[in-house]
Amino acid sequence: MSDDLKKEVQEAPLLWPLTPIPTFEEVYDPKICTEASREISTIFEGWLHPKHEMAKPEALGQIRVLECGHGGLQCNSMQAGGYLGELGANVIMVEPPGGSPIRKLTAFGRKRYMFKDNVNGDLCGGTFLHECRNKQSITLDLTKEEGREILKKLAVHADVLIENYAPGQFDAWGIGYRQLSKINPRLIYVWNGQKGQWGSLKDKPGELYPSSPCASGWCHATGLPKSFGGTPIRSGERSDDILAGNLTAHAVCAALIFRNNVSRKGQFIEVTSSEAHARIHDYAWGWYGMDGSSKPRYGNWDLAINIYSVNPCKDGYMMVGGGHDRLWYRIWKTVGKDRPELEDMILDEPTLRVVIDRVGHDQQVKTLCCLTDWMKDWTREECRAKLLEEEVAAGGVSFLDEVAEEPHYKYRGMVRAIETAHYGKVLFCGSVFYGHRTPGRVKDLGRPVGYDNSDVYRKLLGFDTDKLNELFAKGLI
Amino acid sequence: MTEHLDKLPFDEYCKTVFNKDTLAEKPEALKGYRVLSCTQYILGPCAAAYLGELGAEVIKIEVPRLGEPMRHCSPYNESWFYPVSRWNPGRGTSPAFQGANHNEYFVTLDYRKPEAKELFYNFVQKTDAMVWNYRPGTFDRWKIGYGACKEVNPRIVLAWCGGFGGFGPGRNWASYDILGQAKGGVFSFTGHRAGRATAGFPSKHTTWIMDYSIGMLVSTAMLAGLYWRDTVSNLGNYFECSQVQGSTRYTEYGLPLWGRTGIVRMRWGNWDTEICVNGIVACGLSSYPHSDHPAEKEEGYICVQAYTDADFSNLMNLIGRPDLAKKYATHDDRVEARAQEEIYPAIEEFLKDKNKEEAARIFTGAGLVNQPLLTIREAANCDHFLERGSLGWYDDPYYGDVFTQKVIYKMSDSPPRLKHVHRPVGCDNEEIYQRVCGLSSDQIREFEAKEII
Repeated sequence: MSDDLKKEVQEAPLLWPLTPIPTFEEVYDPKICTEASREISTIFEGWLHPKHEMAKPEALGQIRVLECGHGGLQCNSMQAGGYLGELGANVIMVEPPGGSPIRKLTAFGRKRYMFKDNVNGDLCGGTFLHECRNKQSITLDLTKEEGREILKKLAVHADVLIENYAPGQFDAWGIGYRQLSKINPRLIYVWNGQKGQWGSLKDKPGELYPSSPCASGWCHATGLPKSFGGTPIRSGERSDDILAGNLTAHAVCAALIFRNNVSRKGQFIEVTSSEAHARIHDYAWGWYGMDGSSKPRYGNWDLAINIYSVNPCKDGYMMVGGGHDRLWYRIWKTVGKDRPELEDMILDEPTLRVVIDRVGHDQQVKTLCCLTDWMKDWTREECRAKLLEEEVAAGGVSFLDEVAEEPHYKYRGMVRAIETAHYGKVLFCGSVFYGHRTPGRVKDLGRPVGYDNSDVYRKLLGFDTDKLNELFAKGLI
Repeated sequence: MTEHLDKLPFDEYCKTVFNKDTLAEKPEALKGYRVLSCTQYILGPCAAAYLGELGAEVIKIEVPRLGEPMRHCSPYNESWFYPVSRWNPGRGTSPAFQGANHNEYFVTLDYRKPEAKELFYNFVQKTDAMVWNYRPGTFDRWKIGYGACKEVNPRIVLAWCGGFGGFGPGRNWASYDILGQAKGGVFSFTGHRAGRATAGFPSKHTTWIMDYSIGMLVSTAMLAGLYWRDTVSNLGNYFECSQVQGSTRYTEYGLPLWGRTGIVRMRWGNWDTEICVNGIVACGLSSYPHSDHPAEKEEGYICVQAYTDADFSNLMNLIGRPDLAKKYATHDDRVEARAQEEIYPAIEEFLKDKNKEEAARIFTGAGLVNQPLLTIREAANCDHFLERGSLGWYDDPYYGDVFTQKVIYKMSDSPPRLKHVHRPVGCDNEEIYQRVCGLSSDQIREFEAKEII
């Protein structure tokens, strides 16, 4: 490592945690916690606490996944590989020589937000680093015939192949499901895309998020109505690609079970971002079918539940939820402690007496104006503390610094840091799969380009150093 | 058979193997698995429903008579599937219930009654997987939690899902989808930033995305648990998935960026922080200027993508701003915030006398990737989703013609499929308690009279 680089890495310490991670004694202090609660939580901790995770087996420990999701900038296959990796699969990420284009993504193109490899000085974006957890990185040029021949050899050793190239691209290259299933009939092959590899809106080469939620009606239904000054809005994160990643991991597990129990062979699967969104667009479709209603935008309120919304308070935005009588009256009791006249106004209002009458637009306006009138005098934390006293689900809209420092998340290892071999200490979100016998876990974050070339090609294909050097010289890896 | 497929053009091949009309001719991936769903609202129910679509026998347990609360939350309180149950023919079930409860059997059981425990254990003995989303510790207090279940059936794969998880300082906090979005982080960076439009504040996702998407992960965990049980260990399992963590998991570069630089990821409206041009822009005109629906009457929107140098220069020439193509020649130049502030308004200026269809025609003609924002009505009538069988009309055995979302994804050999959208409360008491639990009709009637089931 050059002195300059060393200095830079040292000058970029991890700014976390700013407040200490709470200890067991603090969390279950008898002063704030009943004996029964402490007892049951201790049992849960014994089963689930991530500090035990490395001693346990992995659910998909015998599965090998080839993830070819790096021909373009779509992030769906990358997500899927991350989830399968958390569950223990050996995910081999096939990048083009020189590295995945996703590595170069950084907010506003700013190099100073990227992570510098402390050996060769290469820069890597945070998204890639965060999502490519537990993966081995190899490089292979699939645009060349010789590279594709190598992929075919790798496919022999794989249980799963995930790709998100343009529709029909792999098939035209002779490495689609039709061809690879001849080589390895047990191969489960997943194609990811925005809208589909067939059909009238089939993907154009290079198509990315957010074209998928635009097609599924999702974006048009997110945001405030125009009369409130709103426009349709996309999700800040690549929500569809994430959903498609979730579903790809789901489909792969289902196909593994089917392969094991019934068919003894793989199959061809298609998971698209757009349809993942359409699938979860709850009542929009049923409602349309009933009377032709086209679900409108309703901002941070909910068309079907009152109160279930986010509204301004003194220092930000505050979520309060409680549609049913039990919570409804608790919310107004809380408000009434400071502002009895607001509580009276709501309780005296005849159109707000019955749960199902409360979701009319006028009722929502009345309700939420009263609620906001109370919240405007209090900060998010004050509102939350007052509402939690009455066991009402409430919380402020948290920015990521607040998320990173939330004691609950730190205690559970949801937000944690890892010392990576090349990028220093990195803050990340842990695996969502807490488990008793086979917990999901994060062993490493994204690795440098071609980090595992030698390991993978030697182990799976028997390539020796000369062969690897030759492939490198030809620009194939 | 396969030789015939090998010769087809790729499009035709896909249409054949993913044909929505031949789903019923193929086997189901999870045939023979039984899943118990002790859930309410969306997060838990949808996790079981995804397994139901794949062929598992999902038995959903609800409170007797009333059913679970999600049945009773309908937009504007105006659309219902009748009846909600045979005890209450005058009330209906909300369409919000259908997306999360495909293909399930609906039975009732009041866990709190002493006789119920026996029945519940009876189910547990005969079940492969189970999902619940009551507050942590509730089932353990009733002695039907993981500790008790694994004694009754050591091979059972259990999954709990909910807001904050069963241990830690926040274990008693209740949660909803929208709270997950808010407390987990994605809420804070979705929406316009202040100053660009009047509505510059954080925005929620239109539907209960943290419920449905964490449901996918819970469901994945259960499948992985079943696979591990069947291939490796013959042992059950217990998973816990927290909703707020899902929301944090989706923040992409947010946490690494904060940890390294102390910079907080913020809202960037309809543009993309990492890729330019890749955003949603307003067209000046509406496609339905005479519509009564405010969301149709307003101007249209279109998503346009031109992030390579060639595409970007093409787009800038098309809108008559070749100067911008020169000024922002590289991707690093044009993705910078100030560049984006110049580029997108220039595109909107070009589109101000066009509606989204015209815009799409012009962009497509120039070879640029674009996608007009479809309204729900347009998406529901879009050939693409109908021919692929993702959305469509369904002749439901209970509710007649229903328009619904259909399957989660396409599989060539063991595809998921829709068998019924859902059923009334307690509809399958007779069948399930007889077939699975071995009760007689007399016993079932007796339990129903006592409101145990």
